[in-house]
Amino acid sequence: MTIVLILGALFALLLIRVPVAFALGGLGLGLLLIGGFSPLMAPQAVLSTLDGFILLAVPLFLLMSNVLLKGGVGGDLFAAVHAWVGHWPGGLAVATILSCGIFAAISGSSVATAATIGTVAIPEMIARGYDKRFVYGLLAAGGTLGILIPPSIPMIVYGFITEESVIALFLAGIGPGLALVVLFVLFAMVHARLTGQHSPEPAAGWAERRRASLRAAPSLALAALIIGGIYSGAFTPTEAAAIGFAAALVITTVVLRRLTWQGFREAAMEAMATTVAILLIVAGAKVFGKAITLYRIPQEISVFIGQTIDTPLAFILVVSAVLLLMGLVFEALSMVLIMTPVLLPAAMGLGFDPIWFGIYMVVMVECALITPPVGLNLYVIQAVARASLADVSRGVLPFLALMLATVALLYMIPDLALYIPFQL
Amino acid sequence: MSVFDRITGACAALSAAAFVAAGAMLTYEVVARYFFTAPTIWAAELSQLCLIWGSLLAMPWALAARRHIAVDAVVGLLPGSARRVTEAIAMAVVAAFAAVAAWYGWAIFADSFSRGRTTGSMLDLPSWIAELAVPLGFGLLVVQALIELVRALRAEAPPPATGLHE
Repeated sequence: MTIVLILGALFALLLIRVPVAFALGGLGLGLLLIGGFSPLMAPQAVLSTLDGFILLAVPLFLLMSNVLLKGGVGGDLFAAVHAWVGHWPGGLAVATILSCGIFAAISGSSVATAATIGTVAIPEMIARGYDKRFVYGLLAAGGTLGILIPPSIPMIVYGFITEESVIALFLAGIGPGLALVVLFVLFAMVHARLTGQHSPEPAAGWAERRRASLRAAPSLALAALIIGGIYSGAFTPTEAAAIGFAAALVITTVVLRRLTWQGFREAAMEAMATTVAILLIVAGAKVFGKAITLYRIPQEISVFIGQTIDTPLAFILVVSAVLLLMGLVFEALSMVLIMTPVLLPAAMGLGFDPIWFGIYMVVMVECALITPPVGLNLYVIQAVARASLADVSRGVLPFLALMLATVALLYMIPDLALYIPFQL
Repeated sequence: MSVFDRITGACAALSAAAFVAAGAMLTYEVVARYFFTAPTIWAAELSQLCLIWGSLLAMPWALAARRHIAVDAVVGLLPGSARRVTEAIAMAVVAAFAAVAAWYGWAIFADSFSRGRTTGSMLDLPSWIAELAVPLGFGLLVVQALIELVRALRAEAPPPATGLHE
């Protein structure tokens, strides 16, 4: 009964548009006061959240990707990949996906990825005669690679609240990320062959390939530095983010000479605004999580799930359905923060690995990012392409199916995620 | 632009600068460790302070600029007058939560301050340096939420939602 009341109150607060951070924090604080627990726990939870070293990686990764965005690195990456694969069937589409995948390796955010690559790729694809719905869906879905291929802000947050290794999560994201890239590429090529809507292009010459690759080389080196540094243990994810930010500044000011002082200030303000929004939700969720644990809610839900759902397959099917439904109206990160503490104990009881479950959550969150009516990537593409939400939403459907296929693949072959962090 | 808007705007700019400073300090830390084998004792701790102060001080600005993440789907379906009512209620909830959080945050700060408690880390800074950010940030947030509440009741059009977040 208490569970229903608490969840009802939470949804009521969220639906009248109380910001998620304050809905979670306020309800948590209220529960502490009502239950006779010390309300001092609320400000303490806020402080202990912001005192987490791993969360320092959030503003630094955001600074890095915003600086790269302002420095116009998206165009270079796209031009370089395009020079190599442009003459393939659906070459522009393939180049777009690969560019999203590469940018994902230097950005922890799907919004930044969709915006950066979308700005350059959408006009070119439309001009080349691709179906516009396909183009919008491709970019909205390609952008979500940003949070599956490391670094990834939702993985940092998941690692923080579950006290799992963020490094293991990052490494576990590589396999499924590459699988999704391959699925998207295959789909783009088949789509091009079947519809024949686009005009084929001649292959770029070697001089052109060399020139374009050289311009994109600094960004590629940056991606290699970050993943290599984290993987080898040379630096922590937070330090990698700091180095990445510094390197992004060097690349955009000294090497490419495109970042202006104005652009830098905009990048810093943008990174700050997103950081504050994200970290306050994490802090609010921490207050809420503390309160519901004192009320023994996660424990009871775990017991309830244990009694009613006895196979891992049934669990994943039910949880996936719930997350897809939530994803229709909920913003991605809030979903991770609200659902993880509730679901993880039950998942571990059924024998799921917590790292695997984190990757599963991230793929489900990617779906939430592109399901209407609320999906941030839809809004980004809508804004970048000046398209209607209906067109973007319809274009996304085949890609949503591919992402759910990846979830199924991940369920059948857990090593798709777990091989790199634990066997390699 | 009111005086209070200027204050919260300045706080937001300070927050952005604090995050950039954290990046600079941690980069220096890695360089010092690998190239001069001389790790610092201050970089990690001071950049953590930047995160605490930066996140809390920018809260009121983010509320005014509609940059906090919220669920818009249902409110968007309501007619204008009903939306003003829900907006006012939502802002009252934020103000109430912020007031209570500021109150107890102040209690934690005052306790550490009077006892002279320190962090017990390498720098051994006084604990209240970090803790003061809670009552200050949430105190400013109370004022901002009340301003937004009055704006909603007076039917002043809120600035359009521009924020795109992860």
